[in-house]
Amino acid sequence: MIDSPILETRSLGKRFSIGTRFSADGKRTVHAVDNVSLTVRRGETIGLVGESGCGKSTLARCLVRLYDISDGELLFEGEDITSKSLSELRPLRRRLQMVFQDPSASLNPRRRVGDLVAEPLRIHGKLSSREITARVAELFELVGLLPDHAIRYPHEFSGGQRQRVGIARAIALNPDLVVLDEPVSALDVSVQAQIVNLLADLQEKLNLTYIFIAHDLSVVRQVSTRIAVMYLGSIIEEGPAEDVFATSAHPYSQALISAVPVVETMPSGTRKRIILTGDVPSPLKPPSGCRFHPRCPIAVERCRTERPELREYRPGRKVACHFPTV
Amino acid sequence: MILSVRDLKVSFRTNDGLVRAIDGVSFDLDESEILGVVGESGSGKTVSLLAVMGLITDPNASIEGSIRYKGRELVGLPARELRRLRGNEIAMIFQDPMTALTPVYTIGWQIAEQIRAHQNISKAKAIVRVEELLAEVNFPNPHEAMSRYPHQLSGGMRQRAVIAMALSCNPALLVADEPTTALDVTVQAGILDLVRKLRATHKSAVVFITHDMGVVSELADRVMVMYAGRVVERGSRTDLFSDPRHPYTRALLGSIPPLTGEKPRRLPAIPGSPPSLLRLPQGCAFGPRCPVHYEHCVTDKPELGIGTHAAACFRVARA
Repeated sequence: MIDSPILETRSLGKRFSIGTRFSADGKRTVHAVDNVSLTVRRGETIGLVGESGCGKSTLARCLVRLYDISDGELLFEGEDITSKSLSELRPLRRRLQMVFQDPSASLNPRRRVGDLVAEPLRIHGKLSSREITARVAELFELVGLLPDHAIRYPHEFSGGQRQRVGIARAIALNPDLVVLDEPVSALDVSVQAQIVNLLADLQEKLNLTYIFIAHDLSVVRQVSTRIAVMYLGSIIEEGPAEDVFATSAHPYSQALISAVPVVETMPSGTRKRIILTGDVPSPLKPPSGCRFHPRCPIAVERCRTERPELREYRPGRKVACHFPTV
Repeated sequence: MILSVRDLKVSFRTNDGLVRAIDGVSFDLDESEILGVVGESGSGKTVSLLAVMGLITDPNASIEGSIRYKGRELVGLPARELRRLRGNEIAMIFQDPMTALTPVYTIGWQIAEQIRAHQNISKAKAIVRVEELLAEVNFPNPHEAMSRYPHQLSGGMRQRAVIAMALSCNPALLVADEPTTALDVTVQAGILDLVRKLRATHKSAVVFITHDMGVVSELADRVMVMYAGRVVERGSRTDLFSDPRHPYTRALLGSIPPLTGEKPRRLPAIPGSPPSLLRLPQGCAFGPRCPVHYEHCVTDKPELGIGTHAAACFRVARA
């Protein structure tokens, strides 16, 4: 059922002020997320990719209102929730959940995992304690944990099992949308695939919508229906996952994807690699014009002065570049 | 032969019992050769290299076996002798460059200190050398970078500075422990290029530890796959990736999502998780997670055997 938008942003922006008037550089503003318009449809998975510091985690946190939004609008099922107060947001929290990278940091080490999974049910639900116990058992089964695991403490689990607990907590209240911020990055390679499969199964069973963030591009491609590539706070390319990987239009996406090391049985050199020079510029002093131009292999004068808009050049494919590969 | 490790065993006494971090690892390394060591956390890849560097100083650790560097036995060598080798002949790069840099001195100062600790040259000459080194590791503006503090550099730049430091004495052996894991893929590509260049220009032998099969397949000449403290497969890059023999190697390669072509609906995942080193199974450590195993996989430990491409598996031995 991929059609109606569940979440929508219109020119969303998030600014942080850093420093004080007493700092050497005075008070400054970082545009961590800048002018992002994104539509998330029910049942799909949007993968957010980009280098560290590109604003993907900040954007994800804005989407579930863990951060207040500085500019633009955020709509949930068509309703404007940009400036809802905390108490107004409370009923929504149940429907917007989040899974974090490090499961050991997000689980209280002093509480049994059964308790940890029951916590959201106690806070939000109106269930009796017997119903809660039954629901916890059901959730354990859903995420592939054994019923007798409930009386154990988080440290008794492996990383993969802890992430299963984190996922059980996130889905406890039957959410509509789950933001997954690097959910498999801290896990061993042999365990990553298990969690990726679990997430796919749960999405199908519970009709979940995912926002998926990971720096491992092959994992993002596997999980996502659509991908948004971010650079310095803005989306620079968007489209169906396989298409963006196969025929990226933006020179930055091309460089990013070509940099992923892949297992090749053939002698190396069959794949063309674009190596970017320099680092991601500081979002405190973003470059003029197209923000990618100082590192772009095909930049011309126009890129220095005129900032390209994210535009749809083909149904479903968007790019922000004056000279996209189309 | 630069390095020759024979039947290395490292164990730690803990309150919960004996942890066998490494249980009989052997490998050789030639001049200007890159050896990729792949494994998950707890597979013993880092501990085996710390042993080579003589950096296991825990009083509860016991190290057995032989580590020969250019024919000289390193196990049991006095700390003073080891210190002369480390940094000078053998250099190491870690995952987090901040652990190798002090925040209170400039990059230039730190690299110059390293040079002067091992070579008898003047401060002025050391500084000239630092600038050359920073240029070599592709700092866009080496002169300016010398006066920077670590916190003023990005993660990729810091790792380059650490590599410059590691290269300052032209080491014959460079040990890199997940040097690109904390970096973005775009930055990683640059660092991998750098390692290749160093091997070509300095003839350094490199041991590159990583959990990323992709990185190994792009960089290494030979590969060693580790699981629960033992080498389960070794071979040349081409052999190992075109004909992976150990079920663990196969399963690891199979569980990587493809970057092109059709997406599988489900990834072929390996069930379970790596075993605790405190309670290793009597037989093959991968046995409980292995898709194919015989009765004697439970009772006997498979040996790696000899040959350039070998796997520690009874099934492979039968075939």
